[in-house]
Amino acid sequence: MRILIVEDEPTLRAQLAEGIGAAGYAVDVAENGTDAHYMGDTEPYDAVILDLGLPQMDGITVLRKWRTAGRSMPVLILTARDGWHEKVAGIDAGADDYLTKPFHMEELLARLRALIRRAGGHASSEIVCGPLTLDTRNSRATVAGQALTLTSHEYRVLAYLMHHRDEVVSRSDLVEHIYAQDFDRDSNTVEVFIARLRKKLPPGLIETVRGLGYRLTAQQ
Amino acid sequence: MNFSGLHGSLRIRLLAGTLFWIATSILVAGWGLGSLFRQHVATQFHTELTSHLDQLTAQFTLDEQGRPQLALPLSDPRLSRPYSGCYWQIDLVSDIGGSDSVIAGQLRSRSLWDHVLVAPSGMLADGEIHQHRILGPEGKMLGMVERSVRIDDTPDGKPRTFRLIAAADENFMLEPIARFSGNLWLALGLLATGLILAALVQVFVGLAPLRTLRTALGKVRSGETQRLEGVFPGEVTPLIDEFNTVLAQNAEVVERARTHAGNLAHALKTPLSVLANAATSGKDADHSELARLVVDQVAIAQRQVDYHLARAQVAATSRVPGVKTPLQPVVEGLARVMRRIHAERQLELIVHPFPESLSFRGEAQDLQEMLGNLLDNACKWAKRNIELNACSNGTTLTVTIDDDGSGLAVEKRDAVILRGIRADEQVAGSGLGLAIVDDLARLYGGQLELVDSPLGGLRVVLTLPASQ
Repeated sequence: MRILIVEDEPTLRAQLAEGIGAAGYAVDVAENGTDAHYMGDTEPYDAVILDLGLPQMDGITVLRKWRTAGRSMPVLILTARDGWHEKVAGIDAGADDYLTKPFHMEELLARLRALIRRAGGHASSEIVCGPLTLDTRNSRATVAGQALTLTSHEYRVLAYLMHHRDEVVSRSDLVEHIYAQDFDRDSNTVEVFIARLRKKLPPGLIETVRGLGYRLTAQQ
Repeated sequence: MNFSGLHGSLRIRLLAGTLFWIATSILVAGWGLGSLFRQHVATQFHTELTSHLDQLTAQFTLDEQGRPQLALPLSDPRLSRPYSGCYWQIDLVSDIGGSDSVIAGQLRSRSLWDHVLVAPSGMLADGEIHQHRILGPEGKMLGMVERSVRIDDTPDGKPRTFRLIAAADENFMLEPIARFSGNLWLALGLLATGLILAALVQVFVGLAPLRTLRTALGKVRSGETQRLEGVFPGEVTPLIDEFNTVLAQNAEVVERARTHAGNLAHALKTPLSVLANAATSGKDADHSELARLVVDQVAIAQRQVDYHLARAQVAATSRVPGVKTPLQPVVEGLARVMRRIHAERQLELIVHPFPESLSFRGEAQDLQEMLGNLLDNACKWAKRNIELNACSNGTTLTVTIDDDGSGLAVEKRDAVILRGIRADEQVAGSGLGLAIVDDLARLYGGQLELVDSPLGGLRVVLTLPASQ
């Protein structure tokens, strides 16, 4: 799961990146509206955390441009402006949630998880695929009640596959959603993560669809 | 006269002044014209009598027996017609023993018929003309002039004195005066009526722009318009322009104050977020006394910012008249926000249909702030259902929000609303929102009421001034 954080205040930006990264997400950051717009327009993010008061282009304009261009990733507005008319303006510009500063990191993460889950069409915070259960609230995966021990990259691959359960996910898709932009990407490492996951999961859960990618499914 | 009314109403002032002058002018004109005419008619009457008397004097002679006679009859035909009202008479005045004895009616005009005029006695110097009023035939009052003529050259050689009298019915003079007076006062009455009507029309038309101004002000106050609109005379236009400038400046000041308050909040809240996050999460996180202190103080600072920001908004509110906010778009916008930010809880927010014309007499931001806080509160406490109803009786707009939450004990309701007064006693996350709603509602002359909801939870009833 890859998240874009748009915040112009450097310390807060760093704190957000650290907190969200620690929760198991790949994180990209943007410090002004122009960069944010470009990144959101060209990279496949699973969610965006967007400040409104930004240099160069304000957050509402960035959001409107994304939506006009058909970018539909969930966007959470994080701002100090807490008037209801600003919330209405934000939601009407296409935001999916609105959180005001100062905030608790736990609340931000909870809302972020809920946004990503709902965007994938999952109503509950637990995503189930056969014996495998992913609890998005605490980033834990269990098989028949037994907790799995996963590295952060393994978790990202599994979480992305769980969110797109029963869909074919290409290798490049996986690469784009588990790595941050400035990370040295190597699509071969995806195969390594898949191989490791297959060892930890019941057999047959991750299928290889030849020439297309992978599919996580409980249907045998 | 009611002097307070005189001071209080321009119309009464103008009318009283005008009516006073109309009445005075009419009375003076009536009196002046009447007396001029009376004087003129009286002069003419006496001139005619004197003319008769002169003619009589000229034609007066004595016959052989020494009896008075006229050489030629007088020219005025009325003197020949019985009781015509014009008369003459010649009396013989004998001086007997120092006192005058008069043998009245020695010779009379034919018009006197059998009547003899009785003139007041009294000696007249030669050539002197006296005027009198005497009783004439048929009991009519006559105006009379007399003159004495002494004739020394008599047949018997004894000088004799005669008194020559010309008289005429006073009605010859009084009738035209009465007729003239009647016509005069009728004409003046018509004139006065015309002038009063003209004055009324003038006052009505002259003051019409003030009525238009009052209507325009009423529209500004009711929120129908934001500035005074309409065509006004040149004398009033500067006033209108000044007033519109003040209105615009007011709105601008409010907007600026809000922007500043928003900027201040923004400027403060971001560092507060940084501080709070640094103390509670990340690699620097520790659970020392200092971290707890920072968290506590950040929470207090945040509440203070929220509280004073809200108070600043309240203070900047409703000083600007002429603002009207339709309810429907505000409710719809807030409903969209509530459905998003409370999406996790899968609540049923039902907005019951209400007339599109329902409007609040005040700022859109204030309405959003009030309804936003109330709806958010209801969403926080509801188990599943929230319902919004709105209605208006023309002057008051009532918005009712019900939830099916656990409700609020009766004794706690006042405290929840009043707590905002002392923000420093606030517990984190508690009902500052309701207190701000109450403050805003009161400022607009409305109120916030908490009662039991038929859904089982709390019902908030917000009443606000409606805009037509």
